[in-house]
Amino acid sequence: MTSPGRDVTGARTSGRTFREVLYCVATVAAIALLGYSSSDAYVLTLAGYTCAFALFALSINVILGGIGEVPLGQCLFFGIGSYSAAIGMKHGLPFEVASLVAIVASLVAAAVIGAITLRLTGAYFSIVSWGLTGVAMVAATNLDQITGGPLGLFGFPPITIGPLQLSDPRIYFFASAVILLAAILVLVAVRRSPFGAAMESIRQNRHLARSLGVDVTGIRLKAFVLSAPFAAIAGCLCVPYSQIVTPEVFNVGNTVDGLLMVLLGGSQLIVGPIIGAVIFTLIPQVLDLDPNVRILVFSAIIILIMVFAPGGLYQLANAVYGRWGKESGAESSR
Amino acid sequence: MELLAQTLVNGLVLGAGYAVVAVGLTLIFGIVGIANFAHGAYFAMGAYASYLLTSHGVNYFAALPISVLIVAAIGLVSEVVIIRPSLYGSSHHGSLIVTFALGQAAIAALILLLGPDPFPVPTPLGQRTIRVFGLFVTEHRAFVLACSVLVLAAFGAWLKFSVKGQQIIAVAQNPRGALYAGINVPWIRTLSFVLGVAAAGLAGALLAPISTVYPTMGSSALIVGFTVVILGGMGSIAGAMLGAILMGIANALFETYVSVSWTPALGWILVIVTLLVRPQGLLGRAELHRH
Repeated sequence: MTSPGRDVTGARTSGRTFREVLYCVATVAAIALLGYSSSDAYVLTLAGYTCAFALFALSINVILGGIGEVPLGQCLFFGIGSYSAAIGMKHGLPFEVASLVAIVASLVAAAVIGAITLRLTGAYFSIVSWGLTGVAMVAATNLDQITGGPLGLFGFPPITIGPLQLSDPRIYFFASAVILLAAILVLVAVRRSPFGAAMESIRQNRHLARSLGVDVTGIRLKAFVLSAPFAAIAGCLCVPYSQIVTPEVFNVGNTVDGLLMVLLGGSQLIVGPIIGAVIFTLIPQVLDLDPNVRILVFSAIIILIMVFAPGGLYQLANAVYGRWGKESGAESSR
Repeated sequence: MELLAQTLVNGLVLGAGYAVVAVGLTLIFGIVGIANFAHGAYFAMGAYASYLLTSHGVNYFAALPISVLIVAAIGLVSEVVIIRPSLYGSSHHGSLIVTFALGQAAIAALILLLGPDPFPVPTPLGQRTIRVFGLFVTEHRAFVLACSVLVLAAFGAWLKFSVKGQQIIAVAQNPRGALYAGINVPWIRTLSFVLGVAAAGLAGALLAPISTVYPTMGSSALIVGFTVVILGGMGSIAGAMLGAILMGIANALFETYVSVSWTPALGWILVIVTLLVRPQGLLGRAELHRH
């Protein structure tokens, strides 16, 4: 099925491994540079939070750019991650163990929810997944014995991963960035596997894929279950930043923010959500906008993107690149 | 027994408000083919329009139709400028995201222009309760009920007996066939969108005196709208009305007899159950693939 010099998706592979090791080294260097050159706690903590939210955006893109659904309910797993970490720590578990519990909980939840809801597609699936976050928010508000009710859970002991103190902004940033990098590598590997190719075929045309023998139902479920732990880890990573977990983590607005990050950067590029996350976090910092002006501006940007460049900055970059006469389209950077 | 009857009546009144929103939503879904996540924003716009008019001395009953016209105009502009280009673009999940963004932008604009605080809208009907068959209904709520029923009945009649109405039904049944028959499908779509959001605006203006006017009032309208439409069947107007009544009564019963704090989850649970058990809703057409 794969010809020499090409991978499962048809992209050329010669020299790619070398290039990518180079990217990884460069990224690690950039992370180290940013981490050590800045001693501003605010900047470092914000950078760490951006990495965590970028991880969430990545999980959204597994569904959006992967199988082609709009997962409005992805903040459900984000919230499961946050609450599992918080509840675990309140019961004396160390952060690492609580995070593992969060991952397992999100996997189980995704398996159950996916099995039931993935038979729907399009707007129906989106509305159902949105509805589940609504139910989750009401449940979190009402089950106050477990979740602390509307006020939430706060007052955690100092959060550590092994010997690393996450209350130190620099360490928080490094930890988040490294986890994000690991996630990217995992997702790139998935994208290049036969599984990833099957996902892409489903995204392009579900019925055609099925007619060719792709197990559409199974692949959709697996993709859904794959995306959940990334969102859960993102949820766990946000706890050291916000130091409080309230039912608001289930707010669909979080998913919409994540969607915007994905759309800005481009859903077809694995690192697209990262680019979007950086832009999304940087602009308010640089421009210091009133929150409602920010919503207005970002909504307008989404509309412009969806009308003119649904592929986000990646599509625009490709278009510009193409005009300069270089190869476009055939060489995939996935 | 009297509590039950009173609860049912409360539910009916609730349902009437939902019905107008839901009918607009299902119209847009059935004909324009998009899930209009901006519907709540138009609901809020209708309410705000009624506030602005009444605060400048316009009588509430006159403000109602003017508010509807204002929302219809905004709907026309947004459909032509934003919805249409994005619909015929390359991304098939574009409409969901675009309408969501549109709704968010509209709400942000409202907050920026008029502030986040709630405004009251005075109604000449006041808070007096009237007794109907021994049950209590506040005057304004009775007005909302009556107005909703009238508007929906008139709309149903227009759909059935006017040329444009028949064209809309034709496009809903078979857009391509309608095109071949010479119907101007794009403009019918625009008209349906405008009518749909105008309905939301009407509901907003009707309910404004009850709930006061605040920027995020549309989000619960949006959620309720979707739950009702899915319950009744996407694209079915009769289904939307039936779903609204059922939803209103279910909400009232649940709130009175079970628990108030879990009531917001009821709508979502009904939606999830409906989509899993009978995806086409109560009165919708059964389709092989929900897309």
